[in-house]
Amino acid sequence: MIASVAFRNFKALRNTSLRLSPFNIVIGANGSGKTSLIQALQRLRTLAMLPLGEAAAVTRVGGPEITIAFAAPHSDVTARLGCTSDVVCDLLRVESPSQVQWDEIKARLGTMRSYAFDHEAMAASALTTSGGGLASNGANLPAVLAARQRNAPAEFARLEAEFLRLLPEFSGIIFEEDSGGRVRFALGIGGAGEPVRAENLSQGVFYLLGLLVLSFDPVPPAVVCIEEIDRGIHPRMFREVRDVLYRLSYPTSFGEIREPVQVIATTHSPYMLDQFRDHPEEVVITQKHGHEARFERLSDRVDLPELLREGTLGDMWFSGVLGGVPEER
Amino acid sequence: MKVALLSESPADEAVLRVLVDAILGEPAQVAPAGYRARGWPNVIQVLPAVIRHLHFNTDVDTLVVTCDSDDSPVHTEAHEAPQYYHPHCRMCQLRAVFRQTSKRFPSAHGRLKVRRVVGVAVPALEAWLLCGRDSDVSEAAWINGQQAGRLPYTRAELKFRIYQTERPSLPHEIQCALRETERHRRDLRRLEYDFPGFAALMKDLKSPPQL
Repeated sequence: MIASVAFRNFKALRNTSLRLSPFNIVIGANGSGKTSLIQALQRLRTLAMLPLGEAAAVTRVGGPEITIAFAAPHSDVTARLGCTSDVVCDLLRVESPSQVQWDEIKARLGTMRSYAFDHEAMAASALTTSGGGLASNGANLPAVLAARQRNAPAEFARLEAEFLRLLPEFSGIIFEEDSGGRVRFALGIGGAGEPVRAENLSQGVFYLLGLLVLSFDPVPPAVVCIEEIDRGIHPRMFREVRDVLYRLSYPTSFGEIREPVQVIATTHSPYMLDQFRDHPEEVVITQKHGHEARFERLSDRVDLPELLREGTLGDMWFSGVLGGVPEER
Repeated sequence: MKVALLSESPADEAVLRVLVDAILGEPAQVAPAGYRARGWPNVIQVLPAVIRHLHFNTDVDTLVVTCDSDDSPVHTEAHEAPQYYHPHCRMCQLRAVFRQTSKRFPSAHGRLKVRRVVGVAVPALEAWLLCGRDSDVSEAAWINGQQAGRLPYTRAELKFRIYQTERPSLPHEIQCALRETERHRRDLRRLEYDFPGFAALMKDLKSPPQL
């Protein structure tokens, strides 16, 4: 979907660009530009939904600018975000051979979603009628699950089966609807045990469930951005988390026939990074020096094979050999 | 026999369980939660702690360790000479860790030391899985390739041959791995012959425990 993003004078991203793959795991120090990348794409989505008209005539010189190029069949389309400051990007200029092409891109951009899950929001009950999609913090999870069970029972069954395989201590997802039309969920534990209500579940259970909701979405978005995919989850489960996300980006590897979803995920866990040893082309390192940050693809490191003889990818990152670590004074 | 396993992934562990039973000719009593390392350098890092833990805190009598050789030097007959130690051969390194870690241990739980069982898959466990199915896959073929400077296959290619994708899900990986292991479970001789790194594991496992 999105082939590359180039930044100029945007926050710490003064002059850098990034080729995007179907799957991208972004690592780096705090404040090094991981979230800025996701924010830029969100902004593109928002502005793309507005009419181009008058704004297209405006040109700003010297201000922050973000240039987005698209993958085939739209590789001759370019979108430029113009910003008045680091936080206000309100101008979108599009160079497209035809309106039809831009309309196709716009339709796909409109489906783009970004998430930074919050377990408390995910645990809260939700109006049954609001089951369209997860909020950016994962809120609305009960309604989304209930709607999935009601409207796409086969997909829900697959989601539930995968969830129970990953967390075999549970026996099923149970919904309760109150008189006010709000739905909440609990997890069965089999036998005569009382189901565990959502408010008593651990954070990791919510995050895993949230990722599964995305992974088994019958109508997935074109692009999904997820912050901190390792959060709350045991490191031995990271391989499974990676697979849940790979299902989105590489559907045929999972026996699914649909359009791939482009995934941009962030992590601060060296153990999660270890999961990408065989695919360094999927790893993006944000390098920050002083007030300036830039992106690097791990696969561009020519000495990577030698490094991996000496330690795991996560160890190499933590040590500082790969960069992407906080600066110390 | 009470056995603990240290491997690089759940799929490797599933294969190892089957192979251990096949070698012993009967189901071994395997510790339910396997010990896990995150790739090669980590195997050698955690191994001393695992040996120490098993020796003093459990009644496990055998620790089975496997790893991939990747592109490290392959263990050969020459490495078996007394006092020989190749600093980059993973078999030599793993054996040395066992030796050094437990040499000053007092006996515990009725045994002198936890028995060492080490196997190295050349270049990766998927080569063991393909043994007997793809005739071009063997330890000798890999060594010849290393010497000629032209490897006969890559680890990624071996994985694709087994899983039919570069990104198998874990259940798919385990399912495919166990399907291929079934061939070896019935008859280990080809694997033993074509992969000395597996033969070494067999030999260790069949050796008498050190009581």
